[in-house]
Amino acid sequence: MIELIHVSKRYDQRSALSDITLEIAKGEFALLMGPSGAGKSTLLRLLIGAERPDEGQVFVHQKNVTALKQSNIPYLRRKVGTVFQDFQLLPKKSVFDNVALPLLVQGVSANDISRKVTEALRAVGVEHKRAQFPAGLSTGEQQRVCIARAIVNGPVLLLADEPTGNLDPALTVEIIELFKTINACGTTVVVATHDPFVMAQANRRVLTLSEGRLLPEQGVPV
Amino acid sequence: MKMLFYLLRESWVNMWTNRMTTVVAILTTAFTLACVGIFLLLYVNLRAAAGWLQDDIKIMVYLDDRLAVDSIAKMEQQLRGDHAVASLLFISKEQALGEFKAQFPSESHLLEGLGQNPLPASFVVALRPSFRSSDLVKRWAERVSRITGVAKVDYSQDWIDALATVIRSIELVAVGIGVILSAAAVTIIANTIRLTLFARRDEIAILRLIGATASFIRIPYLLEGAVLGALGSTLSLGMLKLMYELFRQEMPTTGRFAGFENLITFFSPSVCLALIAVGMGLGVAGSFVSIRRFGEAKA
Repeated sequence: MIELIHVSKRYDQRSALSDITLEIAKGEFALLMGPSGAGKSTLLRLLIGAERPDEGQVFVHQKNVTALKQSNIPYLRRKVGTVFQDFQLLPKKSVFDNVALPLLVQGVSANDISRKVTEALRAVGVEHKRAQFPAGLSTGEQQRVCIARAIVNGPVLLLADEPTGNLDPALTVEIIELFKTINACGTTVVVATHDPFVMAQANRRVLTLSEGRLLPEQGVPV
Repeated sequence: MKMLFYLLRESWVNMWTNRMTTVVAILTTAFTLACVGIFLLLYVNLRAAAGWLQDDIKIMVYLDDRLAVDSIAKMEQQLRGDHAVASLLFISKEQALGEFKAQFPSESHLLEGLGQNPLPASFVVALRPSFRSSDLVKRWAERVSRITGVAKVDYSQDWIDALATVIRSIELVAVGIGVILSAAAVTIIANTIRLTLFARRDEIAILRLIGATASFIRIPYLLEGAVLGALGSTLSLGMLKLMYELFRQEMPTTGRFAGFENLITFFSPSVCLALIAVGMGLGVAGSFVSIRRFGEAKA
C-alpha cells in the first residue's frame, strides 16, 4: 500500500527526512512514533502529495506520488482519508455538511451522500449530532466527526496525524479502538503520534523516526 | 446538481460574509467603469456624427462658363459612368442664381448690379459610401479637377477631417483610459477576492486535503468576481444613463442646438450587454489573479 524508497526531504538547510525506506502492506495498521520534529508530519504530507521529496520515490496504492502531476493529486487524496490533531472541521457547516464534503467534491448524488454520511456518522457513533455545528461538540465528538469525514468515501488508506493529541486517555482509547475497527474492515491505517500511551493501546507495528531518520524496527509489542 | 448548488451557495456566502467589502468593490468598480463609459459614449456619438456628416458630403464640380451645352452633356455622361459616383445633379447658371436669390433674398441686389449672372453651372456629386473616406474624396476631386471644362472642384472636407482627427484622439484617449481604469477595476476586484480567500484559507486547505480539484475550489471565487464585475458594470451603466438623461434635459432645445438632443444617443441594448459582459470578464480576471497568487503561496 505504501512504499518509500530512499526518501529525503529538506527545508532550507534543515533535514526533515533522511534516506527513509519503508513499506506498509495493504490492510496493515502502523504507528509512526517519534518526538515533535522527528519528521512524522512531513512523511504523512509526502504520502498525500502535499510535499514532494528532494530525493527518492513515494508510492501509495500503486501510484508513484513523486511523479504525479499536480492536477492528479486530488484524485489520490480521494482514496486517502486524513485525520488531524486540530480536527480541521468547518465551523460554519453542520456535522452532516462537514462529513458530506469529500463526497460533494466528487460529484456524488444527493441520495448517495445522505446514505453514506449517515453510515459514516453511525460507524463513529455521532449520528445523533448530524445537525449540530462543530462548536457545539465535545473534543472527542469533533474527532469522531473528523474520522467520519475521513472514511465517508471508503478510503483505501487512513492517515492520522496526532489524532489523540487533544484528547484525554479515555477518549484516546475510544479513538484508537475506532481506528482498529476501521482497519478490521480492510483500510490500511497509519497513525503518527509521539504518545507512548497510544502505542501501548494500539499494540501494532511501530515505525520510529528520530531526527528525520527511521530507526530499526523492534517488532510488534505484545 | 448538488455540487452546482454548493458552488453557487459558497459564492453567495463569500459575498454576504464580506458584504461591506463587496459593496465597496461594486461601487468602486461602477465609478471606474463609468469613467470609461463617459469616453466611450462621447466616442460613439462623435463617431455617429462624423458618419452622418460623411454621408451628407456633396462635391461641387463648377464648370467653365465657356463650356458648350453638348460638352456639358458629355461631361455629365462621363461623370455618371464614374464607378465612384452615386448620384449627380446638374445645376445650370440660372438655377444657381435662383437658389442664391432664394437663400439670400436681401443680398440678391448685389448680383443684379453686375449685369450678368456670375454664378457658374455645376454638378452636385454624391460619392458611393466606399469612396467617402477623406483620402478617396481628395483623390477623386483632384482627378476630376483635371478634366477640361472643370473650373473648380469644391468640397467641405477640411472640417470633417478635423473632426476625424478629434475622434481619433478621443479614441486613443478612451483606449488609454479604458486600459488603465480596467486594470484598476481588476485590481479592486482582485483585492476583494484576496480578502475572501484569506478569510477562508483554512477551508480551502481542508478542501485540498479531501481531494477537491483546483477548479472546484476556484469556481466560487470566479463566480464572485463575475458577479462583482457584472453588478459594477450594470451600476455604471445606470449612472451613465442618468447623466445622459440629465444632459439631454439641460440642453437648449432652440437656437443653434435645436434638435440636437434627438441626435445624441445612448448605448444600444446589445452594447449595454457587451459592457456588462466586459465587467464580468474584468471581475473573473481579478479573481483569477488572486487565486493564482493564493495558489502559488499554498501547497
